Amino acid sequence: MNLTPTHQRFYQIAIYICGFLLFMEWLRPLEVIAEFNNVSIFFIYAAFCFFISFIQLNWMLSVPLKLLALLFIIDGLYIGEQIFSRNWFTVIYDQILYNIQVIQGQQWWQMTPMFRSLLFLILLWLMSYLLFYWFIVAKRMFVFVLLTIVFVTVVDTFTIYEGKWAIIRTFTLAVISLGLSHFYKEMERENISFKNMPSSFIWVFPLAGMIILSLLAGYSSPKLTPQWPDPVPFLTSGNPGSGPGGSGGGPVQKVGYGENDSRLGGGFVQDDTPVFQALADDDQYWRIESKDTYTGRGWEDTLDGDTSAVSADDLEFDTVTEEVETEERTSLLNFTGEANFNKLVYPYGAQSLEQFPNNTALELHNYTGEIDTIRDGSVTQVEEYVVEYDMPSFEYNELREAGSEDPEEIEEQYTQLPENLPERVGNLAGQIIEEEDNRYDQAKAVEAFFAANDFEYSTEDIEVPEDNEDYVDQFLFDTKVGYCDNFSTSMVVLLRSQGIPARWVKGFTGGEPTNETQSINGESLNEYEVTSGNAHSWVEVYFPEVGWVPFEPTQGFSNNTDFYLDVESDSESDSDTNGEDEEDSSNSDENDPSNPNQQEQEEDLDSEDDESAAAGGNNSQLPQWITAGLVLTLASIIFFTRFRLMAAYYERQLKKKQDQDTFERAFIFLLKALEKRDLKRHSNQTLRDFAGRVDARYQTNEMRQLTNYYERVLYRNETNQKQMSKVTELWENLIKKALS
Amino acid sequence: MSNQAFLYQPKISEVLKNINRVMIGKDDEALLSVVALLAKGHVLLEDVPGVGKTMLVRTLAKSLDCDFKRIQFTPDLLPSDVTGVSIYNPKTLEFEFRPGPILGNIVLADEINRTSPKTQSALLEGMEETNITVDGEAVPLKSPFFVMATQNPIEYEGTYPLPEAQLDRFLLKLRMGYPSEKQEMEMLARTSGSHPIHEVEAVISREELVSLQKEVEEVYVDSTVHRYIVDLVTGTRKHEGVYLGVSPRGSIALMKAAKAYAFIMDRDYVLPDDVKFLAENVLSHRLILTSEAKFEGATPEDIISDVLSNIAVPVQRNVSE
Repeated sequence: MNLTPTHQRFYQIAIYICGFLLFMEWLRPLEVIAEFNNVSIFFIYAAFCFFISFIQLNWMLSVPLKLLALLFIIDGLYIGEQIFSRNWFTVIYDQILYNIQVIQGQQWWQMTPMFRSLLFLILLWLMSYLLFYWFIVAKRMFVFVLLTIVFVTVVDTFTIYEGKWAIIRTFTLAVISLGLSHFYKEMERENISFKNMPSSFIWVFPLAGMIILSLLAGYSSPKLTPQWPDPVPFLTSGNPGSGPGGSGGGPVQKVGYGENDSRLGGGFVQDDTPVFQALADDDQYWRIESKDTYTGRGWEDTLDGDTSAVSADDLEFDTVTEEVETEERTSLLNFTGEANFNKLVYPYGAQSLEQFPNNTALELHNYTGEIDTIRDGSVTQVEEYVVEYDMPSFEYNELREAGSEDPEEIEEQYTQLPENLPERVGNLAGQIIEEEDNRYDQAKAVEAFFAANDFEYSTEDIEVPEDNEDYVDQFLFDTKVGYCDNFSTSMVVLLRSQGIPARWVKGFTGGEPTNETQSINGESLNEYEVTSGNAHSWVEVYFPEVGWVPFEPTQGFSNNTDFYLDVESDSESDSDTNGEDEEDSSNSDENDPSNPNQQEQEEDLDSEDDESAAAGGNNSQLPQWITAGLVLTLASIIFFTRFRLMAAYYERQLKKKQDQDTFERAFIFLLKALEKRDLKRHSNQTLRDFAGRVDARYQTNEMRQLTNYYERVLYRNETNQKQMSKVTELWENLIKKALS
Repeated sequence: MSNQAFLYQPKISEVLKNINRVMIGKDDEALLSVVALLAKGHVLLEDVPGVGKTMLVRTLAKSLDCDFKRIQFTPDLLPSDVTGVSIYNPKTLEFEFRPGPILGNIVLADEINRTSPKTQSALLEGMEETNITVDGEAVPLKSPFFVMATQNPIEYEGTYPLPEAQLDRFLLKLRMGYPSEKQEMEMLARTSGSHPIHEVEAVISREELVSLQKEVEEVYVDSTVHRYIVDLVTGTRKHEGVYLGVSPRGSIALMKAAKAYAFIMDRDYVLPDDVKFLAENVLSHRLILTSEAKFEGATPEDIISDVLSNIAVPVQRNVSE
């Protein structure tokens, strides 16, 4: 090869950077479709791994480096403990143990975000190896380029990810990298020397020119509008029984925030009409109102009449007592969309409104928390307002020790149940909470009950109870399929049947991040778009001296409420709850107080893909499928290229180490690779005979030469460092033949 | 690097050329004879008369500058005809030892199964030990000492077949076999004038031969090859058609022969290839088959090739047991 090392390096770096940027196109959509808030961390880690792979550090150095970086990321994202302390390792150990159990039980939803991130980081690590092999060693990138384009188009079609620029970027990178690699390979093949040419990079201009021209042509040329309708509804409509007019048997509604909940049930169709945009720190639930009376069919508001006018400076509505720890935050809501919404939407702990129009009055329904916006005597929509709120954080032990002495008023109103509620509902509730001795764990047990018993989330084909049926009873014992209303209503009813005050709450989930940030009062906030599809219902449970604590029983959604553990008070409660909890099989993972960190992470969901769960629930489970498909694709790519990967590995080892052991392993690997080519050495065949056969096939004498050397190593116990470079060359030639 | 490995050691190459000049198409037999010679072993040539057994030995002997003796075994041959005898010398009034043919360097023992076991053992004792006993005194044998015995497998009448224990003392057993038609025609053409054996000249002196034998002992045998040999030998013992398998002496013989073969191939280490090549000739006469196997027509050679095809060649160090 006549390329000077500098040239060679330049091409390699250029191709490799293209490869890295292409790989970034795979990560970018995750931010949107799987709502990875910390996607930049993954970018950085990928870059780090790529860099380490490129400089070809000894694995003794590179593996610990990558591992260390991985652990730091995991630590930074999830673990509150001092890094590498004893507790830290315990947390890691518990997490891994727990997740392995979950995987064994095939309860994929139960995997903790930390474990998922860990797997993802390891995937990035492996990808860095794979792409290094593809781009630098094998110099084959077309498959990857093609896969990238397919991926971007699929993601663009099936998710909200806007792939227009991604396609343009991918195309540019693809042409550059393919051009470079082709040029590089051509020079190698033809032994073209650039040493004597005045400017070796002159060829860059035609390549760059071609790219720019084709880009401009492609961008400016008119494009056909889609010839097919949007494939997603097209595909789903092919499924009989779904969508409007399906054989589901129930009235099909449109998802969204409804007023009348007196008769629940039936499927609904998705509706992504935006309701409002919110600027907030995190993905958080937006509360609107609660309902207190369960009729057996749905919810009624018997306490609705009690209203009072409040001012924007003090909303006078609190779900929690003053003893609960809070954090001051600000959010901005903007209702400029089509939806006409005339209730105040607010986060938990809302205190006051700013930038609220003076001519609009607020009327608070004291019990439900519903706040109507009234202008000139009639309800109206307020376009934009800022909410100041004290976001509550609940301490585990405080909740556990809250006791069950409820004020009479609360007990009376919020343990109501219809008289004709089937007895088995109460019995079931009794079984669920049997093992728990405090209200918090009892509530958690009910919350976890649905996941542990294969209840399914679905918005289609949901039955409406007949006149003599109970809505909750039907869901718990017959259908086991439903959406948020089924889950939340059931949880409230189950708790109430055991005398625990609970109420049904309506509002919106956090919505989709738009990836834009804006600054309000000096705080930088993320923008979320909340659509009709984000309408949701959940549960609030009353704890004496704490107030109403939100719970989230719906499958695929997770509780965004902040729970924390005060470490000082931890030790006492630890000893007395430990025993009972471990016995609780359905639930011990969730509630095991000996592992508070895990719990905290599970519930402290201000980051990461748990939001994908929330989003996934409403917007079908597509992102998860894509992630799974992605992982599967990568795994199969690794599987099918394992010989090439191994070859690259041995090649590097041979060049670096030049010792007997490495050579022995490399040679044995070569035998395996040849086996794949139908050149199997029978176990009774000597190497020399086999070498003759191989050489006859490939018309060389390289295998004999290599075998001769190997014989000296093996049967003579000889190491001849001098010939190692020659041997390595022979090995490379043969392995290329074997893998071609 | 590659071609070297397929060349003979230069000295040996000369010897083989000599034999090739006289014998046609007997390259392997010539090679194996030299293997036995270098490994300080002995050869049993078994075949019908007239296929060139004696010619092979004579050519080999002529190529080496060594003392060649020949014993034609007959039923009435006495041990003293082999070992030599002390004769009274009336001049000196003393018994003088007259050395027998066994005290040569290269001994051709023709038709060894025709003589009585007593005489046979006189020869076989010498083959195993480095000396023979004559009149109660030990007489040292010459060095190098190389016996090539022939026997005729066809005639059993009036023969004393060698017992298995004594067969074990031969390093190799060879069969000559008939030449192909083409070879036979060429043979006729060659022998029409003076016999080519008369033109054969010695190419290795006795001292050279001894030093070559020493060099053979230096050839390296790796433990992987040891394992292969042991596997093969154990394989014969476990084979269902075998009544008595190869003895440990057989393993040693196989290793020694392999060393010599490797040396001839101009290598200073043994390959499994060497072992494989030699296994049939070294091991087949050390087996006793079961009567069932014999009845089914199996030969020891079949058993050995069966074992060879079942035992894996070691191609890796540290293979777990």
